Amino acid sequence: MKKTTYLESSLNTNAFIVWSETLKNIKFLAAYPVIFVFWTIFPLFWFIPFVLQGQALVGNLGPSVLWKDLTGNTEVVPFIIIGAILNGYVLNALYGVGESIREEAYQGTLDYVLASPCNKAYVLIGKVLSGSISSTVYAIIQFTVCIFLFGVTITAWVIMPVILVIILLILGLYGIALMLAAVSLQLKQAHEVAHTLDYIFYVFAPVRYPLQFLPFWAQVIGQILPLTYALIATRGLMFNSESPSTIYLAIFLLLIIDVAAILIGFYLFNWMEKRTKKSGTISHY
Amino acid sequence: MRVFLRLLKEKNMVHNQGNEEYSIETINLTKVFRKKKHRGIFGFLRKKEKSQSSNSKKDLTIALDHVNCKIGSGELFGLLGPNGAGKTTFVKCISTILIPDEGTAIVNGFDVRKQTSLVRASIGLAIGGERSLYWKLTARDNLAYFASLYKMPRSITKERVEELLGKMELLDRADERVEDYSTGMRQKIVIARALLHNPPVLLLDEPTLGLDPTFSRQIRSQIRELCNKEGKTILLATHYMKEADEMCDRIAIINNGKIVAVDSSDKLKAMVKETELVEVSCYNLPSDPEKYLKSLYPDIEIVTLIPGNEAEGTPSRIKLMGENAEKRASKVLEALLKKNAKITNVNIGTPTLEDVFIKLTGAKLTEGGAE
Repeated sequence: MKKTTYLESSLNTNAFIVWSETLKNIKFLAAYPVIFVFWTIFPLFWFIPFVLQGQALVGNLGPSVLWKDLTGNTEVVPFIIIGAILNGYVLNALYGVGESIREEAYQGTLDYVLASPCNKAYVLIGKVLSGSISSTVYAIIQFTVCIFLFGVTITAWVIMPVILVIILLILGLYGIALMLAAVSLQLKQAHEVAHTLDYIFYVFAPVRYPLQFLPFWAQVIGQILPLTYALIATRGLMFNSESPSTIYLAIFLLLIIDVAAILIGFYLFNWMEKRTKKSGTISHY
Repeated sequence: MRVFLRLLKEKNMVHNQGNEEYSIETINLTKVFRKKKHRGIFGFLRKKEKSQSSNSKKDLTIALDHVNCKIGSGELFGLLGPNGAGKTTFVKCISTILIPDEGTAIVNGFDVRKQTSLVRASIGLAIGGERSLYWKLTARDNLAYFASLYKMPRSITKERVEELLGKMELLDRADERVEDYSTGMRQKIVIARALLHNPPVLLLDEPTLGLDPTFSRQIRSQIRELCNKEGKTILLATHYMKEADEMCDRIAIINNGKIVAVDSSDKLKAMVKETELVEVSCYNLPSDPEKYLKSLYPDIEIVTLIPGNEAEGTPSRIKLMGENAEKRASKVLEALLKKNAKITNVNIGTPTLEDVFIKLTGAKLTEGGAE
């Protein structure tokens, strides 16, 4: 009598899938050390011009009363730094997963991943997790640089709550990454979609300016993005600029968006996988 | 490994559910692809023609057409066909990478449509060749990664990876990146990957494609060994006649998505035994020899025509098949001599698998494959 080597899923085997996928992606990064340098320096170049531009316009970047009216905090630089760091997580999740699926199809490994008995959601968790780990490394480097360059400070007790908010942000991004992976299966070239999403986050979430600066319709768009609530909660915690109720509400809304994004992401990915397997375009690149 | 198998037996092992005689059975397996028409850069602005939006036959490619096939347990089964015949689609449907449009396949007792996870766990896949590995990772890392996708426990993975690397004689280079390997070494890793979870069924698509004779021989003997010693059922899709002829217990010839014959190599050859074969080697062939000879002897079939190179001393070869081909050979020779051809050799032989293939598919051979 023949037997299969089918194993029922257990926490251990699923964790091993996530770990293997994460490790694989980190090893890829390690194979190209120049990527580390690029992604560490690039975000600094990304926000430093805006800090300098602000300095050129108002003469200095010291405490600003007008800024306090808008954001609840007098300091401009830490506001922008937090925006840059959290946006780094968005960039990694969007470009990392889409590109990774495309690469897998191009290399011919996607067929093997799809023909394996594991749940592909765990593979995608691994992809997002590896992106988030590298984002955290970049964030630590950026923050350290900013401490020395701009004298930014952080209170120890907020570190844990901020990490929790970042984890919630990553969950929401995981849902979006699932949607993007689904699109990648069909469109193949996910880079453009990731680019568009990136700019939606960049413009409509309060990355560089408070949400109140945006027209009403744009604020509505901003309010469905997980990054918006992650930024409100993080800045509120770090600068003590928001009331606890505002922070709790932001975390609660972030949680709701996470659940919705993950559910939609799962549905879309499974639907698209089936569709491309039927049409035969699954292995195309 | 023993612990792993015991664990499976105790906890999760799923036994073959039905017919033990066959490991793979396809029932009216059909796969149709829609032809993609490229209408230029601004094509999307133009209105679709009626035929482009309809499901008319000319817009569709029938990759598999109601294929019925049974592959016995422990059998090394060859799937032989020219490029585009449907071999890879067949393998992809069986491995659940593609969903059939009609019909189904039962693999190790599990339905590819309804029990995808069980089918996937039952098969070891080797398709896509050397490109299907992560070149920036080492062989060991590649195998460990794919083991995780097959839900192999971490403790067993290490042992199994070592065992397979040893079997493939790659232990000493296991920690080098795959990009530094030769094509043959990469192909060995592809086969090792298919064996990771010790599946009862192996699906191998062109496993010796692009390999030098030494590696081809090694891979072939390993495949044969897997079947003989470990009792694995192997589906070998290939377009190498010799490979199928030498290795397979039975061979299915596939053409235009249909299986046109299934039998052992000897029995397939017997199908054309009544017809004789004459091979003529000569220089200075007439300009269109096929047309010329056909005009004289319409019932003689020219199965192969390989042009030679006089400068390099390689004669052209014409293979004739048909009833009484031997008797007519003298007339054919006469006709060629009339056109100033220089005959260097005449050989009357028995049919090979290649001749069967050509007779059944109508495809003529070039070096190494069919066209």
